[in-house]
Amino acid sequence: MEAGATGATGAPGASAPRTARTFARIAREAPFHDEGYGFDVFGLHPPSLARAVRASRFFYERYFRVDSAGAEHIPAAGPVILVANHGGVLPVDGAMLCLDVLRQTEPPRIPRAVADHFVPRLPLVSTLVARMGVVAGTRANVRHLLGRGELIVIFPEGVTGPGKPFRERYQIQDWRVGFAELAIRYGAAIVPVAIIGAEESWPMLHKVTALRAFGTPYLPILASPVPLPVRFHLRYGAPIRLAAEPAAADDPRAVAAAAAEARAALEQLIAQARAARERGLGGLFR
Amino acid sequence: MKILVTGATAPLGAAIVWELLASRDVELVLAVGREPTPPRPLDPSARPDPRLVYRAVDLTRPRALHDLVWGEARELGIGAVAHDMLHRSAREEGRRVHAQNVDAVRELVLACTDHPTIRRFVYRSFGEVYAHRHATSDLIDEDAPLDFDPGAPQWLRDRVEADLTVCARMAGPLGIAVLRCAEVIAPGVGSQLWDYLQSRVCLRPLGFDPMLNVLSLPDAARAIGTALRSTAIGAFNIPGADTLPLSVAIEESGRADIPVPGPLLAPLYGLRRWVAGFEFRYGMNVRRFHFGGVLDGARARRELGFVPRAQVRWPPGRQHPRFERPGARAPAGA
Repeated sequence: MEAGATGATGAPGASAPRTARTFARIAREAPFHDEGYGFDVFGLHPPSLARAVRASRFFYERYFRVDSAGAEHIPAAGPVILVANHGGVLPVDGAMLCLDVLRQTEPPRIPRAVADHFVPRLPLVSTLVARMGVVAGTRANVRHLLGRGELIVIFPEGVTGPGKPFRERYQIQDWRVGFAELAIRYGAAIVPVAIIGAEESWPMLHKVTALRAFGTPYLPILASPVPLPVRFHLRYGAPIRLAAEPAAADDPRAVAAAAAEARAALEQLIAQARAARERGLGGLFR
Repeated sequence: MKILVTGATAPLGAAIVWELLASRDVELVLAVGREPTPPRPLDPSARPDPRLVYRAVDLTRPRALHDLVWGEARELGIGAVAHDMLHRSAREEGRRVHAQNVDAVRELVLACTDHPTIRRFVYRSFGEVYAHRHATSDLIDEDAPLDFDPGAPQWLRDRVEADLTVCARMAGPLGIAVLRCAEVIAPGVGSQLWDYLQSRVCLRPLGFDPMLNVLSLPDAARAIGTALRSTAIGAFNIPGADTLPLSVAIEESGRADIPVPGPLLAPLYGLRRWVAGFEFRYGMNVRRFHFGGVLDGARARRELGFVPRAQVRWPPGRQHPRFERPGARAPAGA
């Protein structure tokens, strides 16, 4: 395990008591813009989030045995964009990342994951994820969150990440640059996060683009009915603080350069984390 | 300050009139409505205010409108107009309704454009003019797309057309403010949500619980009063003080919340409208009952200085919000 790693099985002394406290603290202490009825404008409801964190404890600690390192790089305050690689069929990687951010930040920062446009059309799922803090991926939504200094989780690959064939695992697909523009405009720190394990956890055999429901881009044919208990490794990189002035957010070259810098940092993290995993004993499942 | 208020006998128009008359800087209010009697004062025992002049005028008649604006309004030295004369019922459609909703607005803004005394025009528009889609933002600012769905009911199409009709004159000499208000929750204002919450049982699309923002009658009147005193030009969202999920709105009203598969709701509410004559039309609300949409009032706060303060009075039922989160902000007036 790399230096500074913590997690369900990584640093026993640090993890267990902190986890127990976190459930209650999310509802009580995490910064949150209450509109008066216990919800924010996007539908986030901290008591529901705390219940979900408690309910998913088994998956985080026992099933996927999340091994986290480098979370100290997440700024304690101010606008932050976590950019991560995306893999696996369903966004288990996003869920584990959000759980990890909640557990590793002190005081807890509620991550606002940015979902694709089809998510609000999904019955039950749309409401459930909104209560957890997920927002639809529109420019106005993200601008508003960054403007009030929240922590955003973005997968710049979008659906091309989970939709790629298994042989291309951990290879960055379409790299959208919108996050870089917003980071420049709002002075947000970009923290790259490598997620290792999601690709092997739930591989996809084939995608049927002819069958779509609720606006989803394709129907996945899964290799397994449930995700395999592959261990997840999360590696946070050093925050990238862009030197560009906010006005440079309208300069396509400045935006492309910032996006490329974040991509290079993420690819390096992915390579290091995969190499570390291969050096370890027990392969994917330990 | 001398102000012409249209739609003055409707609940919001009356609230605007009394909001204005409560201020000492208002010298005269020329209230216009279709009813023969003026708006009733909030306090029935209060003496008539000499600053209130009421005229019953049918503004769907261009000649009557022109004579009012270029006749009495000019003689009285009216300097600002607050227009809130739209047909409230969603059940009625046709040319007469369109004449009231759109043609009268066009005639009025044209009559005011080169008027010798009128310098300010405030039009009460609706947050419903924005398109609600799964791909639109949860937080709706003034640059959000409008709903140009040709299949939308006339109630909505008229409001979009009237809004754009007024916006098109903003480059002229008249200082125009278009206030896109969140839905006003009060009886008699044509609120779909108020009508929806009248039932003891409220059916909601299964699996969806969108965020809503609603406006109280006092805040709506105060927003218009604030805009009349301002010189800011443009479209402004006017959100209310209550932002909550649909399920909580139902709970606040003391109604039973029953999630039902979405495709069943249109026939069920169609049957309710047909049998009991309610105003609520599910087809008009289907998108916002699935996808959240809350007006972003940042521009109104910044340029008009308007911040919503008063919470809505929900239909009779429990009136106390649920505070699950310790330390949650107590809503104003709770």
